Amino acid sequence: MFQLDLKNGKPIYEQIVDKFKEFIITGVLKPDEKIPSVRDLAKQLTINPNTIQKAYRELEYQGYVYSVQGLGSFTSSPDKILDTNKVDHLKEQINNNICELLYMGFEPDEMEKYIKNILSSWKGGRQND
Amino acid sequence: MIEVKNLYKSFNGYPVLTDLNLTVQKGSIYGLVGANGAGKTTLIKHIVGVFKQDKGDILIKGCPIFENTLMKSNVGYISDDLFFFSMYSLKNMSRFYKKVYFSWNQERYQFMLNLFRLDENKRISKFSKGMQKQAALILTMSCMPEVLVLDEPIDGLDPLVRKKVWKMIIEDVSEREISVLISSHNLKELEGICDSIGILNGGRMVIERELDELKSDISKIQVAYKTEFPEELFEKLDVLHHEKRGSVDLFIVKGNRNAIIEMLKNLNPLVLDVLPLTLEEIFIYELGGDGHEIEGILF
Repeated sequence: MFQLDLKNGKPIYEQIVDKFKEFIITGVLKPDEKIPSVRDLAKQLTINPNTIQKAYRELEYQGYVYSVQGLGSFTSSPDKILDTNKVDHLKEQINNNICELLYMGFEPDEMEKYIKNILSSWKGGRQND
Repeated sequence: MIEVKNLYKSFNGYPVLTDLNLTVQKGSIYGLVGANGAGKTTLIKHIVGVFKQDKGDILIKGCPIFENTLMKSNVGYISDDLFFFSMYSLKNMSRFYKKVYFSWNQERYQFMLNLFRLDENKRISKFSKGMQKQAALILTMSCMPEVLVLDEPIDGLDPLVRKKVWKMIIEDVSEREISVLISSHNLKELEGICDSIGILNGGRMVIERELDELKSDISKIQVAYKTEFPEELFEKLDVLHHEKRGSVDLFIVKGNRNAIIEMLKNLNPLVLDVLPLTLEEIFIYELGGDGHEIEGILF
């Protein structure tokens, strides 16, 4: 299903959590789609089942997946997800990027226009859905 | 599943293992690491009931293991130095194992034989070292033990075979919830497979933790301030290692990562990078003492 990077110092369960989030956010995994069982994924990735279990618990806690007794785990719909950590992290990234652009001589007016453009095209895309 | 409590062992009056505790839960894969001569193999030989402890308890599923035939039939052990009867082929060995272990699983044996592509009619003594190790793995895992103790199981195996070995172990852990204890120097591979880690040094357990916990507790930090590094921070941080690289300070710090980041951020650093450590780095910093001995080996 996906590859993990063992050389990356990041704990493996975090990598699994991040990968699943990415798949859910980008729509590779559709809402209410069944995700592999702990055992299956453990065997597929050759990763300790306890690590997978931990990742699934974290995903459930953050609201990205829900489990149904006897049936397994499923992805949640996007509107049910709120992850404050991630929100903070993304805000910080935006902040860093804006600072860098300003440092490189980007004019604040230009910046505003640029951001407005992104937002309006996103809104347009939403209406077409 | 495996419990070692206050184990003490000496050879000829010279203590080898002192006040040693270890716990492996059901369905867990435990990585035992340590420098050469730290006592890993001695500890393992106690766990499988080969050595008798001077003091302390060694329990498998709550029962003492020493001279306990019933419990021993539940424990699969692959030692560092393998033993096969001379002139025996893998087929002969499997017949012997079948008689000794009630839980012998012929299907599993056939499956693994095909997986590793060994010739069961060839004499084992004619096998290469790596193939002998595979033969031992096949025999041991076909006994379907509930506890698997592996002393450096993957050393000398090629990457493809190692992958197969891990796959088989993962399968047994997820399907049958067996407990596995592995000693190895291949920390990179242990990192992917173990959920708990015990670091042994000089006959003592230095650290025994869940791997993720261990990794979130220790971080590598690169930080630069406009002026000199604020001295007062040294007192607040549990610094394992400090190095100056030009205007950038490199730290290895113990403690809650977010709290440390907050603390460093408050003083407006120019650069602040926080990186998790690999198991290999943790091993080196924990056993390298105050850092003097390891200077120059590292990164």
